[in-house]
Amino acid sequence: ALQPVGTPKRNIQLSNIVEECSNGRRVSRLLELSPKKPQPTVPMEEPKTPKRSTRTSLGTAGSSATKSTPKSASKMKLIRDGTIKPTIHARSAPLGDEANELAIARERLHVSATPSSLPCREKEYEEIYNFLEGKIYDRVGGCMYISGVPGTGKTATTTAVIRALRHLAEEEHIPKFEFIDINGMRLTEPRQAYVHIHRQLTGKTLAWEQAYNLLNKRFTTKAPRRTTTVLLVDELDILCNKRQDVVYNLLNWPTLATAQLIVVTIANTMDLPERLLMGKISSRLGLTRLTFQPYNFRQLQEIVMARLVGMSSFNSDAVQLVARKVAAVSGDARRALDICRRATELADDQARKTDQPVTVSMTHVQQALTEMITSAKVRTIRSSSRMEQLFLQAVTAEVTRTGIEECNFLGVYSQLEALAAFSGVSVPNPGRAMGICARLTASRILICEGGRNDIYQKILLNISTDDVHFALQASKLL
Amino acid sequence: MHRRTRLSLRSSSINDKENDNEQVQLPTTPRKRRSKVPTAAQAEELNEECFVDSPKKSARTHQRLPDVEELENGSQKDAGTDVVGKLPEREKEYDELVNYVENVLGADGSGSLYISGPPGTGKTATLQRILNHQSFFKKLKPVYINCTSIKSVGSIYKKISEELDLKVNGSTEKAYQTAIEAYLERKHKTIMLVLDEIDQLSSSKQTILYSIFEWPARPTARLILIGIANALDLTDRLLARLQARCELKPHLIQFLPYTKQQIVAILKSSLEETNSLARFPEAALGLLAAKVASTSGDIRRALFITRRLVESAKKEDRKGNLNTPTVVSMGQVMTVLKQVYGASQTLANDLEEGFPLQQKLLICSLMLLLKHGKNKDITVGKLHDVYKTICTKRNIQAVDQTEFIGLCSLVETRGIVRLQGKKEPRMHRVCLQWDEQEVSSALNDKQLITSIISDVSCLGK
Repeated sequence: ALQPVGTPKRNIQLSNIVEECSNGRRVSRLLELSPKKPQPTVPMEEPKTPKRSTRTSLGTAGSSATKSTPKSASKMKLIRDGTIKPTIHARSAPLGDEANELAIARERLHVSATPSSLPCREKEYEEIYNFLEGKIYDRVGGCMYISGVPGTGKTATTTAVIRALRHLAEEEHIPKFEFIDINGMRLTEPRQAYVHIHRQLTGKTLAWEQAYNLLNKRFTTKAPRRTTTVLLVDELDILCNKRQDVVYNLLNWPTLATAQLIVVTIANTMDLPERLLMGKISSRLGLTRLTFQPYNFRQLQEIVMARLVGMSSFNSDAVQLVARKVAAVSGDARRALDICRRATELADDQARKTDQPVTVSMTHVQQALTEMITSAKVRTIRSSSRMEQLFLQAVTAEVTRTGIEECNFLGVYSQLEALAAFSGVSVPNPGRAMGICARLTASRILICEGGRNDIYQKILLNISTDDVHFALQASKLL
Repeated sequence: MHRRTRLSLRSSSINDKENDNEQVQLPTTPRKRRSKVPTAAQAEELNEECFVDSPKKSARTHQRLPDVEELENGSQKDAGTDVVGKLPEREKEYDELVNYVENVLGADGSGSLYISGPPGTGKTATLQRILNHQSFFKKLKPVYINCTSIKSVGSIYKKISEELDLKVNGSTEKAYQTAIEAYLERKHKTIMLVLDEIDQLSSSKQTILYSIFEWPARPTARLILIGIANALDLTDRLLARLQARCELKPHLIQFLPYTKQQIVAILKSSLEETNSLARFPEAALGLLAAKVASTSGDIRRALFITRRLVESAKKEDRKGNLNTPTVVSMGQVMTVLKQVYGASQTLANDLEEGFPLQQKLLICSLMLLLKHGKNKDITVGKLHDVYKTICTKRNIQAVDQTEFIGLCSLVETRGIVRLQGKKEPRMHRVCLQWDEQEVSSALNDKQLITSIISDVSCLGK
């Protein structure tokens, strides 16, 4: 009985196998859904399945079987085949756009508004462009590794290059190519990468094994009319599991002459190939590496000014302040844009209050900076109760006494007793002191180990002792 | 009953047929054969197609620089895909392998083989040549499996039985295994089973590796098992029990990293094929080969660097619009080598370009702690304390702790330090990954650095 099932399958076209296997017989049988059943040439199968025939007769009839199909099942099939596309609800009426200049500035300063040309990344753009163009032109495969700290324009530059190359391909200056991108963070599991790649190539969703087999077939067999495929892999480090088979396969395909696959990988860590990947994989990754440096303050200034071109609502000194502050810490362009945006919002608030046009000035920027770069901890200490402050002081005293960062509750409590006697307040009993300790731990000023160690529990300051002193300066305790 | 794609079914059945007919393949029907392509017979087919295609390819190439294109072909061949002719500098290993296989075939027995060597030493390429060896083609049934392509360790049986085109009752691991073992007992042609990247098959008890390596010892097996991996001592480490029985012990073949002379010879042969040897002076090739051989002996690297040099030469050709091809100079070789190998030198350049001030201060405080601090076990919290005192002394606004932890991870992405995590971020250990000398030379802002590093009072003792 098994034999006849096997034979017709050989005649099935490859495109049908997709449906056949992904949500094939087993699924449909479970759901008692048989509209697709007669289609794949199974004359011999019908006598073999008395169960189903009795069931369909028990249910109403053959035609109503279509009706009895759960809506979601047939819908899922359409989704997996890629015949229906996901949409989201639209607004009933579009928002009226404000003609306010500050609002326009705010819109332009949004991180998602990628400008058409990226300032300060010309050199990197050129390098990626040359690499990709050369490979596409020569019809060979290759790998490139791009690294850099977050917010330095890695993905934006790469996609800009690909956009330009696509434009060229449309005008037939260079051979046509296909572009696929996957992002390690968007995958639930590294092997889902195959599914995503296959879906972008064919539009169909399969289980990863089948997707892998089809991809492997695509890249290992020779096809004379094959177009080059450019694969952009973002967040490469997420794709590394213990076996590292996904990364291996993604980087092994480009070394095959038949594949014509160009893989551009992006990650944050500079030395990822040496640190995380196996020797055989980093050997395949090759030596084309490109590092994106963090922006310095001039570049950040240029980036912000390029977005605000033709606007007078921003004070240029204010932009410079933001640029210098951000460049000193991380050189992250997203952060500079966010601070500018926040400053615009503050200025907008002021304009609304006073009903006068306001330009974004130093004060707004200063305010936004303090909002974004300040510690809430000092304020928390200042506003905490007197006994809590006393307890914190006891912890610092214990730390300075022992010289070790970690101290236990017993030592702290004896310090607390001394301090309380000194400042003339009555000492809380150990149980209440433990409550105080728990409150401070909840606000993450202290770190306590969990469990029921009671008086032997270890206490650790989560801020420096200087901060505690600084915060308590104003109070009478010091 | 397992499901198979049409591809694997057809390919293996055709493969079978060819073997049964015992026909040496003639290059008469390349068109037809193109569509099915079994993995094993693929490279062989590529052979033919290279000849078939050549006029077309040349027609395609003449609009761009021919040498680059062909160097790529050459390089890819060496990287292990289509093996047209001989593999230079791997003749000895090839002969050894051929001898071994011939001996086994002559005795009508079976044997196991383990091939090891660092990445990029031509293991897979040599094996592909053996698989396509004409005289073996009649007597052997080649099965090539890359072990990274399987779902889990256990599904290797399924893959093998698919490749052997077996009929299996049931879809459990056990069923596939018994099917293969039953096949080995029946009368069949000698199988050459090549398992690439075999270290992927290791599990806690190594049951699968053991059972596979025991197949050749079966009396009627007629199986040549070849495992390929990087580790030299994989069979000793993972398969120690095989040592107990002499007939089970796999024959070991080692692929040593390429030496300088070998790399020069390989590069020459692949450049000669394309008549672009004139571009490379002898000394430049020697320098390149010496550098690669001294670090890894990885031919992929050498070919990659050569390709990059040719690309830059091509760029210059475009720019200059000269008729004579540009010759690669020693200087260019040096710059590319420096980019590739001199990690710290380029990092010093990077630091000059844009290294945020606060991160510089962070590294300085780390250096200070390492040089003058008593305890070398530095946590983020401690580092932050020192950093704060330095900042207040220099009248620089210090960042607070949460920000500082972020700074640490940013420095970590550059590979300068590494954070070793306990639970609390404040308790993470900070380890300097670079050499101290290197860091102090890399931080070019000399005045600030020296003043900070000599300032012991910041340690707060």
